[in-house]
Amino acid sequence: MATPSPFKPAAVEAAQRHLEAFALGNSDVALTVLTSGDGFEIAAYPAKGPVTARVAAMSSSMQALAQALTREAGLGRNRSLIVETDTGSAIVLDLDDTLPRTSLAVIASNRELLGKLIWASRNLCKQLEKTLGQ
Amino acid sequence: MNAAGELKIVFTGPMGAGKTTAITAISDTPPVSTEVANNDQQAFAKASTTVALDFGQLALSDGTVVRLYGTPGQERFAFMWEILGRGAMGVILLIDANSPNALNDLEHYTRTFRGISPGQPFVVGIGRLHDAADDALAPFRERLATHGIVVPIFSVDVRKHEDTQLLIATVMAILEARMPEPEHGHA
Ligand SMILES: Nc1nc2c(ncn2[C@@H]2O[C@H](COP(=O)(O)OP(=O)(O)OP(=O)(O)O)[C@@H](O)[C@H]2O)c(=O)[nH]1
Ligand SMILES: [Mg+2]
Repeated sequence: MATPSPFKPAAVEAAQRHLEAFALGNSDVALTVLTSGDGFEIAAYPAKGPVTARVAAMSSSMQALAQALTREAGLGRNRSLIVETDTGSAIVLDLDDTLPRTSLAVIASNRELLGKLIWASRNLCKQLEKTLGQ
Repeated sequence: MNAAGELKIVFTGPMGAGKTTAITAISDTPPVSTEVANNDQQAFAKASTTVALDFGQLALSDGTVVRLYGTPGQERFAFMWEILGRGAMGVILLIDANSPNALNDLEHYTRTFRGISPGQPFVVGIGRLHDAADDALAPFRERLATHGIVVPIFSVDVRKHEDTQLLIATVMAILEARMPEPEHGHA
């Protein structure tokens, strides 16, 4: 599938490195995908493949559904979405001020506290916002 | 009715065929939309695209409320097709006749959704068919016929309320024709 690439190659490369460093520094993290609002994978760890492409599309669908819910509920813009299971969690975080709009999906096992993972993921988002905003 | 006692109709078809347009045009309530900026102008040049679903509701003249679901059109969201197609009482497939892939799209979405919702009424609406001739629909009919599939096919402009209504009425007519006896109240 030809993925339209809305960001400069250098920015995508830098984003890719941030995702790698994040996964290396957080041993629970199994997979992270940076995704455009319409479900195209921009960068991923592990490197782009069929699984990350599917997670990209699914996370954008869930983000849009969460957005529809928060709109209906009068809660304003959705920042993040957290899915917990017995063995781990999936978090989808909206990045601020990127054009086009992007989100980050993080999938992790639950050996560590969820709060710590969310905190670390938000920090990663800030780094990515800076990288993509350039 | 499905297990929940509700009538659910699913609109599907490729990107830009008009699923969101149809549901927005006909829903009694403001539709739930999951539109986001479209970054793939090559696939279809339009501002937004559906990434999860469209949802609207329509009360028929007999009081029956039909729940209308629209799928995303782009293939990478095919996992939503399964989710939305499950329990559908009817499927409406929209095709853009202007697309060079129109006939392949017709076959692909027909096969996929007849697999997801087997045995349910299946109705096709062909949009942007500028040739008003009677046989303009023939290539579409023939394409399905070569695979032994015979379903109602209409030329439609889903921006028009009455055209979308025709598609829904056709699904309803097929459902009613199948009912052994008229229904009295709710099951
Ligand atoms: N000229 C013309 N335009 C049409 C017709 N039917 C639909 N359209 C236009 O085509 C576009 C269809 O866009 P959408 O309704 O977003 O398409 P969709 O099927 O929901 O697409 P995705 O959600 O991206 O899969 C809209 O701009 C409609 O106004 C038609 O019969 N003729
Ligand atoms: Mg749509």
